[in-house]
Amino acid sequence: MHRRELLKTLTGIFGMAVTLPSWANGWTSTGLSGPDLLSKEQKRLLSDLVDTILPKTDTPGASDLGVQHFVELMVQDCFEKPVQEQLGAGLVRLDKEAQNRFGRGFSTLQSGQKLDLVKSLAGKKDSEESAFLNSVRNLTIQGYTSSEYFMTNVTKYELIPARYHGCVDIGS
Amino acid sequence: MNNDIHQFENISINSRGKKSNTFEAIVIGSGISGGWSAKELAEKGVKTLLLERGRNVEHIKDYPTTNMMPWEFEHREKMPLEITKENPIVSKCYNFKESSAHFFVKDNEHPYVQEKPFDWIRGYQVGGKSLLWARQTQRWSKYDFDGPARDGFAVEWPVSYDDIAPWYSYVERFAGISGNKDGLDILPDGEFLPPHELNCVEKYFSDQVARLYNGTRHIIIGRCAHITEAQPIHLEQGRAKCQHRVICERGCPFGGYFTSVSSTIPWALKTGNLTLKTDSVVHSIIYDEKKGKATGVRVIDAHTREMTDYYAKVIFVNASAINTNLILLNSISSRFPNGLGNDNGLLGKYVAFHNYRAGISGQYEGFLDKTTDGKRPNSGYIPRFRNVKKQETDFLRGYAAGFGAGRNVGNDRSGWGEDLKKGLGTMRYGNWHVGSHMMGETIPKESNYVALDKVLKDPFGIPQLRIHVEYDDNDEKMVKDYLEQMTEMFEKAGFTNIRTRDDHRYPGLDIHEMGGVRMGKDPKTSLLNKWNQMHAVPNVFVTDGACMTSTATQNPSLTYMAFSARSADYAVKEMKKGNLR
Repeated sequence: MHRRELLKTLTGIFGMAVTLPSWANGWTSTGLSGPDLLSKEQKRLLSDLVDTILPKTDTPGASDLGVQHFVELMVQDCFEKPVQEQLGAGLVRLDKEAQNRFGRGFSTLQSGQKLDLVKSLAGKKDSEESAFLNSVRNLTIQGYTSSEYFMTNVTKYELIPARYHGCVDIGS
Repeated sequence: MNNDIHQFENISINSRGKKSNTFEAIVIGSGISGGWSAKELAEKGVKTLLLERGRNVEHIKDYPTTNMMPWEFEHREKMPLEITKENPIVSKCYNFKESSAHFFVKDNEHPYVQEKPFDWIRGYQVGGKSLLWARQTQRWSKYDFDGPARDGFAVEWPVSYDDIAPWYSYVERFAGISGNKDGLDILPDGEFLPPHELNCVEKYFSDQVARLYNGTRHIIIGRCAHITEAQPIHLEQGRAKCQHRVICERGCPFGGYFTSVSSTIPWALKTGNLTLKTDSVVHSIIYDEKKGKATGVRVIDAHTREMTDYYAKVIFVNASAINTNLILLNSISSRFPNGLGNDNGLLGKYVAFHNYRAGISGQYEGFLDKTTDGKRPNSGYIPRFRNVKKQETDFLRGYAAGFGAGRNVGNDRSGWGEDLKKGLGTMRYGNWHVGSHMMGETIPKESNYVALDKVLKDPFGIPQLRIHVEYDDNDEKMVKDYLEQMTEMFEKAGFTNIRTRDDHRYPGLDIHEMGGVRMGKDPKTSLLNKWNQMHAVPNVFVTDGACMTSTATQNPSLTYMAFSARSADYAVKEMKKGNLR
């Protein structure tokens, strides 16, 4: 069977599993309501921060792909309490630092100013700021590179490869 | 008999009396071996009740995550911290993740006592762990069956490779096993569908090792339970060719790999001779002292906790190695005060497993103009080369190993902002990576055992098991030797950046626990005879991992399947002769 036909058949027969039966959800406590670790203001700051880490260019920026929700959800569900507290606190400190240096909140800075600020804080060795920014950076990269956009357009994920060739020329 | 019972009908509990709860055979457990027992019995016309302690899982319908894309898992497969904290045991399993967690048992669902640390990984649902297995299906060789006799440990196997070989063939043809005919007496060929391909670096390593060790060490493609070319028997099961999705643990809508759910159980149901009863936790096997045989099985309803007895002439225990021990130990009568068939006091003892502690990784800087394309649900395999035909080292037995290579493809993750974004979007080829892990044979010992706790009970009121299984000096020596030998082989092949590890994982995480109800020639030193039949209770058969006299190095499921089919065939013949009533 050709791959395209196969895909068509699969979609037809199986559809896409979007809702799980209750027993499959038995393991998770968070549902679909989204993370609620951060305040509205902190959510805004996180959104600006992930866009500073991966900005919109001719391709989507991090917040276009909802990476800020991913970062908050991961910290909320998969990290210890101190890390959870650090996320909100780190964002507030970032905003304060923007006030100190530019007399304006982080969100109102120009994108170049945001980037300079983040880079200079992240470069401070062994600082709380650096630890915070680098962990947000790692989660942002994870969220971005595991997004539908990235896996479809860049890494070209195949659900059904239907083949394995052990030795092919690169570029062929 | 039992014409009043239809295969799809729920048996209402305690309402229809003994007759409606009576079958010709009962199989306890619907995993990889129980599925085979049920299929063989039902196919041969035996009215069979298949008991499963967990919920039903129907092929395709109950694979809720099977077609989900990676980005649809909200934590990208990572389990939330709350869950890993509440479930420290199952969380260690490599396959326990968002897409497959629903096929695993939570730690508190079925507690046990760890006299020594033991990670007991379980799957309570129709199909059991056959939904989750690694699908490697290497045959044992005569050197494996002859091991205990030659090296003087455990007891002699009551069967030889030649006894089992036709049954390997029988189950291989039905299950669908892919493999290459390598012609090795140390790892016999089977009824193979076309093999997967070794990639350039795996092939290179294979050639180098053959040359460097004068053809005494082999790197071959694994034999695995994937349909690489569907035969009529597979199509008849409604199964199709494997599509190389390599997300098998979610359940496969193609039936591309073998599970009880996609294969043996629906096949058995089609005969009209099988009744599948889920949510049925087996408490014990009932022994009738006057009749001198087992007469049935006592079951607790997983939801109502109501207790019901089911009756049959023949009982197959396929509850998974450790749970089979538990059921037999809990089957107490005045004839068998220490567990069913346990006249010699050895029930629960001589438990063994596979040693997966050590691994090695490295890189190869050749074949830089080559890569792989697609995915492969399989890897390379190194059959045991230590002490195979004679004793060569200061430890007994040896290890097999997995071996795999792949081309690193990565992106530049440095910088911030547009620089970072550009780096992430540019995929570059790195070196090839190579890796291997050991699969060591452990020696069954009386001091590695499972036993009932005298006080603690599980949520069903059944005694908890105390598990006492640990590594010994032989295992330590084997880890050391594996790391030395593999390092030498990697170095000689020109691999670089070689790193070795010994993760000191606890026994159990290999999920290859075996023994406790071992086969043997002598009723004084074993529990089962050469037909997997209890010496002291001939109408009870044990054909899962509990029956294993020794462990060899091969992934064990194929051998359980062969034992189950062979034993069911024998049981039916005995029933026809009137020997099992």
